[in-house]
Amino acid sequence: MGTATGIIRALNSGIKHLAVKRFTLRYPEEKLKFVGDGYQYDPTSGVGIAGYKGRHMLFHDKCTGCQLCAIACEGVAEAIAMVKVPEEWKHNKKSIMPQIDYGKCVFCGLCVDACPFYALYMTNDYELSSFSKEALIYTPSQLQVKPEVKQDVDIVIDKRGATHG
Amino acid sequence: MSVIAPKFRLGYFLKSLTDNIFWIIVLFTLVGMPAIMLILFFIDLPVLDGTLLTPFLAFTMIFHPETGVPLLKSLLYSDFFRIAAFPGFGFAALLAAGTIFAERKLLAKLQLRVGPFYCGKFEGILQLMADGLKLISKEIIIPAKADKPIFWAAPILFVATAAAFVSLIPVAPGWVVADLDVGLLAVFAIIGFFPIITILSAWSANSKFPFIGGIRALHQMVSFEIPLILSLLGVVILTGTLNLSKIVESQSNYWFIAFLPIGAIVFFISMLAELERIPFDLPEAESEIVAGWLTEFSGMIYGLVQLGSYLKLYAFAALFVVLFLGGWQGPMVVPPFPAEIITHGIVAGPITIHVPGLPITTQEMLNGTLWFTLKTVAVIFFILIPRGVFPRIRIDMLLSIGWNKLIALAFINIFIALGLLYAGVLGPGGLL
Amino acid sequence: MTARLPPGLQLEKVDDRIMTLNVGPQHPGSGHMRLIIKVDGDYIVSCDPDPGYVHRGEEKMAEYRNYITNIPHLERPVIHDSCNILYPYCLGVEELLGLEVSERAKYVRVIASELNRFTYTLYWLAIYGIFLGHSTMFMWPAGDRELAIDLLEKLTGARVTHSYFVPGGVRNDLPANFEDVCLRQINYLEKRLKAYADIFYDNPILIARTEKTGVLSREDAIRLGTTGTVLRASGVDYDVRTKEPYDVYDELDVHTNVLKNGDSYDRSKTPWLDMLESCNIIRQALEKMPKSGSVRVKLKPNPKGGNDEVYKRVESGRGSLGAYIVSRSKPEPYRVKLSVGSFRNLICMPYLLKGEKLGNMPAVYWSLNYWPVEADR
Repeated sequence: MGTATGIIRALNSGIKHLAVKRFTLRYPEEKLKFVGDGYQYDPTSGVGIAGYKGRHMLFHDKCTGCQLCAIACEGVAEAIAMVKVPEEWKHNKKSIMPQIDYGKCVFCGLCVDACPFYALYMTNDYELSSFSKEALIYTPSQLQVKPEVKQDVDIVIDKRGATHG
Repeated sequence: MSVIAPKFRLGYFLKSLTDNIFWIIVLFTLVGMPAIMLILFFIDLPVLDGTLLTPFLAFTMIFHPETGVPLLKSLLYSDFFRIAAFPGFGFAALLAAGTIFAERKLLAKLQLRVGPFYCGKFEGILQLMADGLKLISKEIIIPAKADKPIFWAAPILFVATAAAFVSLIPVAPGWVVADLDVGLLAVFAIIGFFPIITILSAWSANSKFPFIGGIRALHQMVSFEIPLILSLLGVVILTGTLNLSKIVESQSNYWFIAFLPIGAIVFFISMLAELERIPFDLPEAESEIVAGWLTEFSGMIYGLVQLGSYLKLYAFAALFVVLFLGGWQGPMVVPPFPAEIITHGIVAGPITIHVPGLPITTQEMLNGTLWFTLKTVAVIFFILIPRGVFPRIRIDMLLSIGWNKLIALAFINIFIALGLLYAGVLGPGGLL
Repeated sequence: MTARLPPGLQLEKVDDRIMTLNVGPQHPGSGHMRLIIKVDGDYIVSCDPDPGYVHRGEEKMAEYRNYITNIPHLERPVIHDSCNILYPYCLGVEELLGLEVSERAKYVRVIASELNRFTYTLYWLAIYGIFLGHSTMFMWPAGDRELAIDLLEKLTGARVTHSYFVPGGVRNDLPANFEDVCLRQINYLEKRLKAYADIFYDNPILIARTEKTGVLSREDAIRLGTTGTVLRASGVDYDVRTKEPYDVYDELDVHTNVLKNGDSYDRSKTPWLDMLESCNIIRQALEKMPKSGSVRVKLKPNPKGGNDEVYKRVESGRGSLGAYIVSRSKPEPYRVKLSVGSFRNLICMPYLLKGEKLGNMPAVYWSLNYWPVEADR
């Protein structure tokens, strides 16, 4: 008898779940929203600011070419190399800035933690596919561009279940 | 609906349109016209009432209202239509295709996800067509050491047997492909043929995993055939006939499931085991023996096996409806055909058209078909639900259920039926 | 035939009845490791697990990276549970460098660690369902896991391999409005977990398939040195969080779930009960957390420890996870050894599978909570 009640309860639970809403996120028509603007780090207080660890963004008016990000990455993924840029800044006498190879980067964010000049942040952009390995190496001028992200969907929980809406 | 498809450009669309028209014209001129010439050369046109039945005369007869409808009716009641379309293969294949799509969507909804979604304007309704086209376009790979004649023949035999099973089921009063007096015995004979086909296809593939799957399928199907047959003996005792149409007619006052519920449950469980549905899908256990006896089938042969499987599902569900749920019996919900159209003809303003022989289908036939389809869909729903709710059963548990518990329950069912018969409650000459 | 064999090899007599099956890495019913199983008809005669398919030399590579760059490296063995595998490492390095962690950081660590327990255990439960042929039990945990992963993404910035714990605290503070979102999703997750009872844990077919198979008695569990849910399902009340509390676990009320029979059914039920317990822990931690305080200690560049060694233990999803760190006054550690729960429980596999039916093999083998990547490191 225990078997029969167990079977009927399982079937009942299955049929009741036909009324619960579907949970799927219909990417690429719907994209998830993230908190904030990307992972950032405040060197004075020494604590990071919560955000998504996506593509980096480099501020040319703050970077001094100190190479601390490249040194931090050496033990992890060796994805940052310093290259010469054709710009002249007062605070960047050697005119070198980091270029990041996204074929190697593991998006850990230790380079952001290493920068003492508020120059390297991470953004919400994660759609970085390309057709060739060379196109994955982002030069400093490419890293300067703020990404355009259209993310608008969040997890909504109501009486009939959770959905992405 | 998906934005993954490339954008629409008018130039490309016109180009593809003209391409299609070009190829249609080329094929028609080079292939179609000679074929028509050959046919007209060698086949003698029949003579009808003194005039020659040319294609033009045939078209005129079809579209003229006085002669069109009797022509259509004669086509509808012919044997070919019965086998290929209505209670036979076409109807079953349509319901089988609908079942595959409904199963995927139902399972998806139970598991809180969308099933097929992008393949048609509305919730992926053309997904089956896409799957069929994909299977047709794939290469059929046959293992080098396989037994080739049996390997090719086995799926075709499978579909043929399933179609033979479908042909015995009565859908509406008078609408059955093969009206046999020993209909139920023929059903048992055909069901007994399925394990042979399974073991043939598993053996001819000459590989380890199909071998294990075939042996398991053989054990499973053979051990559940006995409870299947025994559970139906109760119904036969109460009606005294093996003819399926007469069994349906004898349920005009009550359905057998009300008095033989144990038999219905035993038949349902044996049905799940014969169809290799979860929880009894050992022969196809994916996490243990890659795909069981279906492993070596690829391309359209796999498509044929799936088609046969789902035809078998429809046929079993229809058999359940015929035997226990009253077949086509049900209250009359179809409105009768307006009588004035038969006597006076269709009146549209000043024009009156006489269309003789108009009610193409009788009221009983439409009503019977409607109730039959509704009941079959309900039974198929109950067959599909355990797929999302139960895990797979183990082989020794399966054999103990088939040989011990179900046979005992089937015998209890037979005793109940005998008791009801001899107490004069049911059956010929009973109270009900 | 009687030639002298080279040392280390042995002759194996081939028996007619016994068939050797290779449930290897390329099989839909195994993880990424190989089991060499000898079968006599339907009964398993012997089982020989062959780990090492995904060995990557993590411990050796850790000697070439300094204490901070080791963080993204050492979390790779278990990518879902990455906070838990960094936890003993961070606790050890904090003791070596003499760092003081703030209260708020400790509470945030506890919350992240419990959320990681969800992601790992739900993934394990999903695969357990599909090994038994229950496709719904694969889809439901995989979908509900998204709720926990979404919370971790808001907190740490990545879905897996969070790189969140550092020696000295955690890398960033909670985002705005995190407590409300977390509470809402944890409440819903608890409701979903309770719905698994009807369809899986009280399902008569599952009970008939897993009860009384792979029975590990209490004495054997202690003697073989098992840990984690395998130990607690055999009747031993041992949980590192309560017996050797670290961070703020001594201030939280943790209830250990102990089941008595030690068969596969109990081993599959204990992680689920542990998850229900984690919901309570997260709710308590969110309440008791101090509202202000820095979560990270500012380190000097290239920190060095003295000539010292330290061993710290933590309870992860699979059992006790320990890190033994030796330092020799250099920025890089001299030796890092991770003692993982999966490798300790591996000894149960040949012991339990002997004499079992072949149909029970997935049920017993995956219920031992074995994660091949972590065992191989």
